[in-house]
Amino acid sequence: MATTAAPAGGARNGAGPEWGGFEENIQGGGSAVIDMENMDDTSGSSFEDMGELHQRLREEEVDADAAAAEEEDGEFLGMKGFKGQLSRQVADQMWQAGKRQASRAFSLYANIDILRPYFDVEPAQVRSRLLESMIPIKMVNFPQKIAGELYGPLMLVFTLVAILLHGMKTSDTIIREGTLMGTAIGTCFGYWLGVSSFIYFLAYLCNAQITMLQMLALLGYGLFGHCIVLFITYNIHLHALFYLFWLLLGGLSTLRMVAVLVSRTVGPTQRLLLCGTLAALHMLFLLYLHFAYHKVVEGILDTLEGPNIPPMQRVPRDIPAALPAARLPATVLNATAKAVAVTLQSH
Amino acid sequence: MMQPQQPYTGQIFHPTQTYTPTTSQPFYGNNFEDEPPLLEELGINFDHIWQKTLTVLHPLKVADGSIMNETDLAGPMVFCLAFGATLLLAGKIQFGYVYGISAIGCLGMFCLLNLMSMTGVSFGCVASVLGYCLLPMILLSSFAVIFSLQGMVGIILTAGIIGWCSFSASKIFISALAMEGQQLLVAYPCALLYGVFALISVF
Repeated sequence: MATTAAPAGGARNGAGPEWGGFEENIQGGGSAVIDMENMDDTSGSSFEDMGELHQRLREEEVDADAAAAEEEDGEFLGMKGFKGQLSRQVADQMWQAGKRQASRAFSLYANIDILRPYFDVEPAQVRSRLLESMIPIKMVNFPQKIAGELYGPLMLVFTLVAILLHGMKTSDTIIREGTLMGTAIGTCFGYWLGVSSFIYFLAYLCNAQITMLQMLALLGYGLFGHCIVLFITYNIHLHALFYLFWLLLGGLSTLRMVAVLVSRTVGPTQRLLLCGTLAALHMLFLLYLHFAYHKVVEGILDTLEGPNIPPMQRVPRDIPAALPAARLPATVLNATAKAVAVTLQSH
Repeated sequence: MMQPQQPYTGQIFHPTQTYTPTTSQPFYGNNFEDEPPLLEELGINFDHIWQKTLTVLHPLKVADGSIMNETDLAGPMVFCLAFGATLLLAGKIQFGYVYGISAIGCLGMFCLLNLMSMTGVSFGCVASVLGYCLLPMILLSSFAVIFSLQGMVGIILTAGIIGWCSFSASKIFISALAMEGQQLLVAYPCALLYGVFALISVF
């Protein structure tokens, strides 16, 4: 069990940054008085000096103390290097001001600490949630509990990306406008974030009791079934096997999500709309992933080409010259798509 | 106290006294003999590099939490270049992919580890650890120069090497960040990252 770190959440309550900035201003970070005590011989490139100095001392000091400490301890060393000292002070003040502004902007806009509680999990919890995502629970009178965490869903999305990449590589899929990695990441993250948002919007319309985080977690864990099905069927190319797994594993994970949503929605029309949409999108996504990113067994080619081709011919087919003229989408999918193109051309 | 200066000794009226640093920090404008050696100035310490390499290569050796206190990117840089070079030997000019995947992977692991650990972690530390643990992947890609990895032997070897890399990386992260009981949770994203590197090596 891990507690959320209080120091890390310093920017969470609104009073933190403002008070810190106020103190810094008082302590002379913007002082116009030149301190004659810090004299030294270096009158060279003072900005780089400052940069190197702060680079070294960054881990040891707190920003608020730095300005105070610099003014306090020093040593009067005579009038040598007065000009160097002046430019050094100016450079120092510029550096401090710039750094303050940058860190303030960063802590305001890029504060990922708000996501910290959602990653506080144990391996046993993740394991049990993965297994539970395949087991639908028929309790529709009370809202079913949804684990509000993001580690499991995020890892599952990345796993799906990896499986897609593996499938594309083994089937020599060529992506014309883009990269394999970009396509895989875009597809998986786009599905997870896009469909979650869409279903959340529908849930808002249908008055369902579910938050965005819960929807993200639910859909994320629902991708576990997809991962298993794709991992198996990208390596064992049997059509019947894929359809069986599609119905079985895809259906189980969809049923689980549907049951959760039904338990949190009131009214038959609303339930039908919400759950129907989710079920359709989830099942169709699995179908799309299988057919779009991997070679299909050549048996399908034979039925499309007609009687001229002998059955079970496993000859790699060239991309026909007519294909660019047909202006198909940029992704050259697989042998089935090529065969469809050839059929279209011949008509 | 920020800077190790000499304490003020009350010699304010001695104009000839000059400021000198008391530690071995390099100081511009000193004469040639007083400059530290080049490797020390660059922060490349071969003994530490060797220690960290041994920690990665012995997956069952207990990692010392303090070895990652200094951010050392020289070793990882060498390993990334060696990985690209072994891929080059196999006819794949994919330095760009190695660079891109390692940059994005380090960024992702940095965000994830900052969210999962009690103490934060710096980007340099993450990059350093992930770079060092790339070493077994170099073995895989050098194996791929001579033998094809697309058979059953290749699959088993690839899986073993990915496991080795991610186990070492998670072991070092766990000991450096004191995240007991979460080694599997850290190892899995490392395994995904090294899996992508393995994908480049194999195909």
